Amino acid sequence: MSDFLKAAQVTETKQALDRLRGSMRTFIKGKDEVIEQVLVCLVAGGHLLIEDLPGVGKTTLAYALARSMDCTFSRIQFTSDLLPGDVTGVAIYDETEKEFVFKPGPVFASVVLADEINRATPKTQSALLEVMDRARVTVDGVAHAVGAPFMVFATQNPVDYEGTFPLPESQMDRFLMRLQMGYPQPADELEILRIARTSYDAIAVNAVVLRAEVLGFQALAAQVFVEDSVLDYILRIVTATRTEAEFKTGVSVRGGLALRTAAQARALLHGRDFVLPDDVTELVMPILAHRLVLVRQTSDALEERRAIVGVLKRILGALPPPA
Amino acid sequence: MQMEKKRPQLSLDELHQLKWLLGGVLVLLSVWTVFYLEFDAWTLMGLATVAVSAALVRPDWPALVPAWTHRLVFPAVVAFFIGDLWVTGEVLPAVVRLDILLLLYRGVTYRQKRDDLQVIVLGLFLIVVAGVLTVSLVFAAQILVFTACALGFLLVVTLVESAEKGAARPVAGGLPAWAAHVRWRRLWARVREVTDWRVVALGAALFAGVVAVSALLFLAIPRFQLENSLFLERFASKKARSGFNETIKFGDVTDIQQDTSVAVSVDVTDRTQIPANPYWRMLVLDEYRDGTFRLSALLRRAAFTREFTDTALRGAARPVLGEPVYWTFYLESGISRYLPLLGSFEQLRFRETQNFRFGEELGLVALREEPVTMTAYRVEGQSTGGTLPDPAFAKGLRERKKSTPKSDTLLMLKLGVDAADRANLEQRVREITGGAELPAAEFARRADVWLGRHPYSLSPRIPDGPGDPLVRWMNSAEGGHCELFAGSFVLLARAAGFPARVVTGFKGGTWNAYSGNFTLRNSDAHAWCELFDRSTGAWLRADPTLGAGGTQPDGAKGEAALARRTDRSWSARFDSLRVFWYRRIVNFDQRSQVETLKAVKEATENSGRQLRAALTAMVERIKAWLAGPWDVRRAAKLLALAALLAGAGWAWRNRRSWIFGSGAGRHGAKEDPVRREAGAWLRRISDFGDLIPEALGVTEELQRLRFGAPGTWPEPEPVFQRARQAVRELRRRGRVTPA
Repeated sequence: MSDFLKAAQVTETKQALDRLRGSMRTFIKGKDEVIEQVLVCLVAGGHLLIEDLPGVGKTTLAYALARSMDCTFSRIQFTSDLLPGDVTGVAIYDETEKEFVFKPGPVFASVVLADEINRATPKTQSALLEVMDRARVTVDGVAHAVGAPFMVFATQNPVDYEGTFPLPESQMDRFLMRLQMGYPQPADELEILRIARTSYDAIAVNAVVLRAEVLGFQALAAQVFVEDSVLDYILRIVTATRTEAEFKTGVSVRGGLALRTAAQARALLHGRDFVLPDDVTELVMPILAHRLVLVRQTSDALEERRAIVGVLKRILGALPPPA
Repeated sequence: MQMEKKRPQLSLDELHQLKWLLGGVLVLLSVWTVFYLEFDAWTLMGLATVAVSAALVRPDWPALVPAWTHRLVFPAVVAFFIGDLWVTGEVLPAVVRLDILLLLYRGVTYRQKRDDLQVIVLGLFLIVVAGVLTVSLVFAAQILVFTACALGFLLVVTLVESAEKGAARPVAGGLPAWAAHVRWRRLWARVREVTDWRVVALGAALFAGVVAVSALLFLAIPRFQLENSLFLERFASKKARSGFNETIKFGDVTDIQQDTSVAVSVDVTDRTQIPANPYWRMLVLDEYRDGTFRLSALLRRAAFTREFTDTALRGAARPVLGEPVYWTFYLESGISRYLPLLGSFEQLRFRETQNFRFGEELGLVALREEPVTMTAYRVEGQSTGGTLPDPAFAKGLRERKKSTPKSDTLLMLKLGVDAADRANLEQRVREITGGAELPAAEFARRADVWLGRHPYSLSPRIPDGPGDPLVRWMNSAEGGHCELFAGSFVLLARAAGFPARVVTGFKGGTWNAYSGNFTLRNSDAHAWCELFDRSTGAWLRADPTLGAGGTQPDGAKGEAALARRTDRSWSARFDSLRVFWYRRIVNFDQRSQVETLKAVKEATENSGRQLRAALTAMVERIKAWLAGPWDVRRAAKLLALAALLAGAGWAWRNRRSWIFGSGAGRHGAKEDPVRREAGAWLRRISDFGDLIPEALGVTEELQRLRFGAPGTWPEPEPVFQRARQAVRELRRRGRVTPA
């Protein structure tokens, strides 16, 4: 591999990702920013946590992505009685073969929608988080790779906390991004109403990108150049969260690395082989906000999220990007 | 994978370009020794400077020279050298010119490794020759710069060799690839990019360390008298710069007055002994013939009887009570072989054995040859008055009346003009004296007044006509300078029957407030007279030049007199450096060594004592303060002090975040000039609100230069040029919006 990316590679990648973006926009109306962040997360090889109310298109988003890139999709509805084996799969004794045979669970797909992840018990949650971290499942001491690409869309309801098991900070850290879908604009919603599609299963979409290509994007993104001053900028942001009095804990080293990786992916998405300070600035909120905890926590998750975003904005305002 | 931080390296072509640049600089540094070497090699030096500079600006030009010319170079250089030797008959200047010629050739042709090493050797030869011959301060600076450049050059030569892995490229004939597209600014940016400044700082520190160790060794090693062992100065042609010869025609001294360079520096142990108006005698001219004053052969033979080879000389003055005053003179090369002195002295001591003659009656000391390096000598018990006792001359004068006069005495009285001019002079003397027989001092005063009708002028005009030119000038009202005044005065005095002579040397000088020494410049050169006072048996100084102070001996001395001559200008600062160089480096003998080491020891001990005393006093004060009665105010003071200390400690711990906190992001940009400039253009373009389409394209390229990997950069200069055009276009459209 040469030291520098070739211009043609970067251009081809951008064109392919633009095709993917276009395909998703056909089904997700008025959410260009969300689509962009999903694509960043895909190219960076990370996982998404979507905090939003039910029925705003989270499943459709994940399904559209999976179908657009010719990948398998599965959906797991997390409930309090869900067991780890229900997620990862179990070993069943096969009478004919006289041995235990592993039956893969729903997590064996390229795009996995883990709906209402905070409804499951911590044990089940951690089973999923292990897969997210290592891209493999270990059952009875045997490791089974889930394949690549592998992307988890976890969702949780920010309003309804009754009977839930909130994810601890260390587990939140495993998600590259946290997004909010939000309600669509009236014009976009009108169009959704007009199309009158009720189930995501009804979405018919042709793959515009192959699985192998997606893996290529991820490899290319890692080669996008990050200049020293941009790395300094990331470091200053991360350091500022650690010295900020309003945060109980600052961003971890993994958080800083996530910001760098995501910025590389965004640069590639925009057809560049180098990272701009804007790539970092744009991604600070989705990448860092869910990794931070306020000293004075509130019972309202939305309120807390707004407070964290406010502090992060203040930090960004105080730290001039390199020029 | 680019994220692995790997320091970029110069390409082979860039290394060749750097080698070319450093080689050219070394050649230029070497040939510029001609500026102070004072050999006749100005044309060659100018040619070398122009040609090598041109080859530096356009390294592709040497390829235009036809290959066959290289074959002719060797025979041409040999022929030049033989011809030079044949014509001039001087070895060293011919060798120096040969060296410059070879450097010129090496500077304008593409070099292989051995040629690069030749450049260093040839350049070093020139610098060492210049250093040994002149011991100039410029040499000190030059050898430092040359050494640093040569070290860098050798490093690059080694890098080139290792990069080529022994497969050296062909040199003569044809344009090397590296020379085809040299852009020095780009190279400079690349060098800055690849340079690890920590290594440079380490190298500079090591170099400074080597210089410091050399200085310490210089201070510590035993002194050897090398000067007389060096053979080079025997080959040097000796040229007097000032022209203090045994003969002066009218105009000689004036020529010197145009030159403001330092001629003599004088250290004196008691500066209050410096007269307010000092006259530094160097040479006495007694014979007047054909409009020229000269030191007659008779007087030279009579006064400078035998040659001494010694380090010390006892003079005519007698010791006086009190602390002896030592005057140390540093006479620059090219001034004269006659040593400047204020008057008679008790003892004169050279730093090393010298061949010299001593004219005791004249109060003059002459070296055998004019020195080509600076000469230092110390004079003890020097008389600073305006009179010079000469019992031998008085005796000769008395004997002259009785018998045949001694020829040397005679010439002090001989007019050296024809009868008509003699009559004319006698007529003038009568006008001055009124026919009376006057004492010498009174005659000098009146003659001074009489000559005062001539204004002072550095470009005098002597009227045409028959007879002696000096008498013609005297009879006119034309302006004149010191030589004309002094010469006329001597003729008048002789016509009046007083033995008189012209004295040349320096008058005045300035006190350098920085180095604490007296400085005489060539522009202080002067001519005055001495006439013999029979009543006292001494020569009386008379300075008839208009505005020079007349014939009254000026006995004023002391701080007030010195204050008038104090120089605090920038030129004095530079001179003080020069004095330091001569006093502490060039003339650093065993005595100076012991003195310096003593001074260092004393200073160290004094500092130690002072530090101990200060610490003890501080501890005592703290103890006394703690022992005093306590109240709220004292406790508050103590708390404030503790808080201050804690604050200082905290600030020290957090100094990195203060220094790099908000500015760390620009750190990378500051390191690289291309990134810095690209960043500046990006800021300028972003100051305009909505971008014009022309600016969009260039913005992308600027962003790549600012944040992209160096290997993917477009050529920076054209991008910056387009950015300049875009900004100009944006301004023209008047779309400036607040940033």
